[in-house]
Amino acid sequence: MKMLTCSRLSSLFVGTTRRITRRWVLLFLAGCFSAHAQEPNQTLKQSESGKPPVSLKISELPAQATESDSAKKKTGLVDTALNWFRRTDLPADLQIHGFASQAYITTSDNDVFGNSDKGGSFGFTEAGLNASVRPLPRLLLSAQVLSRRAGEGNTGMPRLDFGFLDYRIYSHEVNQFGIRVGRLKNPFGFYNETRDVAFTRPSIMLPQSIYFDRTRNLGLSSDSVQLYSDAAIFNLGTFSTQFGVTLPIVSDKDTENSLLAGLQKGQLNREVSYIGRGIFETNDKRLRLGVSGIWLNTAYDPNSRLNDQIGPGGLQFTPIFFSAQYNAERWTLTSEYALRHFKYDKNFGASPVNGLDFYGESYYFQGEYRFTPKWEGILRYDVLYTDRADRDGSDFVKRTNGVGVAHSRFAKDITVGLRWNVTPQFMLRAEYHHVNGTGWLSTLDNVRGSTHQHWDLFAIQGSYRF
Amino acid sequence: MLRVRAYLFYALAVCLLGIEAEARANDQYEIVTNPGVREKALTVNSLRSIFSMHLKTWPDGTKIRVFVLSDDDQLHQSVSKEKLNVFPYQLRSTWDRLVFSGTGQAPIKVNSSEEMLDKVASTPGAIGYLWRANINENVNVLEIK
Repeated sequence: MKMLTCSRLSSLFVGTTRRITRRWVLLFLAGCFSAHAQEPNQTLKQSESGKPPVSLKISELPAQATESDSAKKKTGLVDTALNWFRRTDLPADLQIHGFASQAYITTSDNDVFGNSDKGGSFGFTEAGLNASVRPLPRLLLSAQVLSRRAGEGNTGMPRLDFGFLDYRIYSHEVNQFGIRVGRLKNPFGFYNETRDVAFTRPSIMLPQSIYFDRTRNLGLSSDSVQLYSDAAIFNLGTFSTQFGVTLPIVSDKDTENSLLAGLQKGQLNREVSYIGRGIFETNDKRLRLGVSGIWLNTAYDPNSRLNDQIGPGGLQFTPIFFSAQYNAERWTLTSEYALRHFKYDKNFGASPVNGLDFYGESYYFQGEYRFTPKWEGILRYDVLYTDRADRDGSDFVKRTNGVGVAHSRFAKDITVGLRWNVTPQFMLRAEYHHVNGTGWLSTLDNVRGSTHQHWDLFAIQGSYRF
Repeated sequence: MLRVRAYLFYALAVCLLGIEAEARANDQYEIVTNPGVREKALTVNSLRSIFSMHLKTWPDGTKIRVFVLSDDDQLHQSVSKEKLNVFPYQLRSTWDRLVFSGTGQAPIKVNSSEEMLDKVASTPGAIGYLWRANINENVNVLEIK
């Protein structure tokens, strides 16, 4: 029943995607023009009304980084439209939000999201549009359509990213309990649920050791029933938990390629899986500690008509994630660690993955610094080992009789980046990565054997949201 | 001995002055609600839960509607840091996480104190904040415990 609703929903969305895309393009163009089309008079008037009453002495308030009001109050077409949205009493508290981001990526070697090593590429585009309504005080319905263009794995074809209903069963002060049913973002780590929204990410590319873009569709969202709760822990903070029973999305090429060591004739089937996360957050939101886990089951369905050499094997993927973050006024320190257990049973026949049982390991340390509210810097060290018992990939080379590449089994990435919040709606940023290893590179974008172990990546990105 | 006492006195005076200055900054604004809201007082934790968009209904079951000024507004920053004890950027990232994962809604942004007064006075279940000078009889002032 639930599945049926979801598939109907998604077909409905695909039907309207063309219109939505067209609107998006229009909106985006309008956004570009709005920056030029502002009237000085209006700007002045707006900035005056935005200020506190004259009777108040600003000097009496705590010192703040105050920026000139007039610079950020732009009145363009988009803002006018947004103001209309805000002023018009929309039925059932309807809200509409969206984002669009475009990146330019260039690499010294290896391809990331397009032909990045041949003079750079504009191959990384993300856009999303979401709507939410509250027909009843305790009921929330929300859905988001996402388009992502990034290399061979993501063509930009819009898809239903999430679409579900959320019913709040119990609510008393800080303590909440509720249920969500539909297609949901998978709650793991700090960033997974909003990983496609540039504004919510610390960098253009998330730490790939934990947030693989290669198997992203598998990790991103799934059709599920989820219970959630917030509970006050004495007067210290809040403990938020989410637990879901899900049907993972395993049908895309990139996932199949990664999990089965190459594109196969048959397909991966969806089996019931579980996901859970708990995050403790102090009342001042300074300290956040989280632990998340996934129990993912899938099985290979061989294509008998094409004389498939691979048997109907089963696969269990059970990663566990530990997350920690400290937020001060100017800086934020974040670290996450993941231990990823892969277990293939012995029914895969001729496949090289048959009977494999190993642990992958990932972690990163990240520091962000807010020089001013408009300028932020980031520094990160991110490490991935595909198999923690074989960190340099030498066993892998032996096992595959020299066919396998040792540096495809790890990646160590040093990242430095700078972010400029031009307006609250528009952001620009740039970052540089020096990477040792090709562990997280997409095998769809890169021909096996043509990759380089030491490589650099430079990227810039512009992002708009409303 | 006398000198020590004088120093202590001086230190105490500085502390008291500090407290007074703090109290005065806090006194310049209030948390306000629509007159239809029955609550007269809230705990800090409930208030933070409301502005974090986690607590969505008043105890009588009606919708809470949250109104805020822009992130860089002086009043928003004061309320955020002094009343809620969180930095404005943390509120922003909390709201973004809710909106873009679909698990919640963003507060409604207003562009000025006048609009804030107008919206809170006219929207059932509304909560917001205002400079004292802007408060009139069309809104209720909420006591924060």
